[in-house]
Amino acid sequence: MLREQAPQVLGALVRRYGQFDACEDAVQEALLGAARQWPKEGVPDNPRSWLLTVASRRLVDQWRSDSARRRREETAAALEVPAEGPPSEQDDTLTLLFLCCHPSLSVPSQLALTLRAVGGLTTAEIASAFLVPETTMAQRISRAKERVRSTGATFSMPPASERGDRLRVVLHVLYLVFNEGYTTSSGPELNRADLTTEAIRLARMLHEIVPEEGEVGGLLALMLLTDARRDARSTADGSIVPLDEQRRELWNSSQIEEGVALLTRTLGKVPVGPYQLQAAIAAVHDEAGSAEETDWPQILALYEVLERVSPGPVVTLNRAVALAMVNGPRAGLALLGTLDGDDRMAHNHRLEAVRAHLLERAGDLAAARDSYRKAARMTASIPEQRYLALKAARLVD
Amino acid sequence: MKYMIMTFGSAEAGVEAMGREWMLEMVQFMRALDKDLRKAGELVDAQGLADGSQAKTVRFEHGIPVPTDGPFAEAKESLVGYWIVDVESEQRAIEIASKIVAFVKQPIEVRRVMDAPPDF
Repeated sequence: MLREQAPQVLGALVRRYGQFDACEDAVQEALLGAARQWPKEGVPDNPRSWLLTVASRRLVDQWRSDSARRRREETAAALEVPAEGPPSEQDDTLTLLFLCCHPSLSVPSQLALTLRAVGGLTTAEIASAFLVPETTMAQRISRAKERVRSTGATFSMPPASERGDRLRVVLHVLYLVFNEGYTTSSGPELNRADLTTEAIRLARMLHEIVPEEGEVGGLLALMLLTDARRDARSTADGSIVPLDEQRRELWNSSQIEEGVALLTRTLGKVPVGPYQLQAAIAAVHDEAGSAEETDWPQILALYEVLERVSPGPVVTLNRAVALAMVNGPRAGLALLGTLDGDDRMAHNHRLEAVRAHLLERAGDLAAARDSYRKAARMTASIPEQRYLALKAARLVD
Repeated sequence: MKYMIMTFGSAEAGVEAMGREWMLEMVQFMRALDKDLRKAGELVDAQGLADGSQAKTVRFEHGIPVPTDGPFAEAKESLVGYWIVDVESEQRAIEIASKIVAFVKQPIEVRRVMDAPPDF
């Protein structure tokens, strides 16, 4: 695939010329050129050196213009080209990921820059995936690169002491890309499904580079195990099908197998992290032959560990669901009650949606209906709003 | 996440009442704001609407849709214009709205666009 070459070509270029933003533009143009030319003229014998040559030429062309030369002189001082010998291509890709997910960037900028510089997607493709005009996305990317430059960030690996934190940001960005694409229906939202595929591709690439990082494997497993249910989680008209009503024969069994195998290799090797635990929970769901066969005590135990490793109201909320499945809806509702005063949940529709579901199971239908309605008003997702409003409508006496 | 930032007003409270100076300042302010949002890669769309007095409302009467003159709401104020921004957080959307409010000194509504992925 053409786009696989993107981070490596960009890495080689930045190491040679040391100017991340200009090099990134040049690589983008080379990729666009390849997408135009290769289908007509055939793929060159050495695609990477073709891209490298074309991108270098663009860079030189750009520098020939006076204003650009001036800027080059200004920024040459600011950007340090690492002096040591050429690192491996894998290191280049990792360095790029760290740079694109630089903590000084806003989250939307991190997503956009990662998809372009590491994913090799065009600005138009990213814009259409996020449903914004192409000019807006182009501006976001160029502002992000400006920002990277102004913070004095260099194309080099962060020091070992920062690596853990920086890797967490990268994983969060990949998780968000995945989540953005994890919508339900077809039609105009098909583009968003591509984001899911892209997030999995990037996570897989990262896992190959740092197989020793348990959370990277954990995130990849979580993505595979969640995405495996894609075909079952909505109907043709985009309506949500909840987990316990999904047709499990539509789940992607090879993806589940891959996710489980990955998780088995990852777990127990390292201190366990939140992505691994969430993947383990997804695996328990995926391995149940039917909703009734789900091993809820196991899921509850995993949520208890997750709450210790990475406490937060959303984890508590999920634990309440598991607790309700093991000890009955009233036990779950009691735990939900502990979240009522939590400011972080004040605008979260999921608290109300889960409460509605548990009230319904407890037989308190009038209260369940009110909670479904409240949740429907609070969500920012159209399919979810429809789902919750229908749930409420079904309970009208 | 996308937000719609909406300004409301009426013909009496707008251009006619505020005078020439204010008008010119406002035009400059709005142009500068749009430029900033554009440069930040946050602007999805921004439009001003024709005065509410020019609006038509289509109503369902006697079993058929019937167009009538005037805005839908009986209230004096109607939608004057909007920005749709794609931003990192609600806090940022409110920050943008606050800039506008500081200038126009009129209330502004900030509403989330339903663009979130479902959480199931």
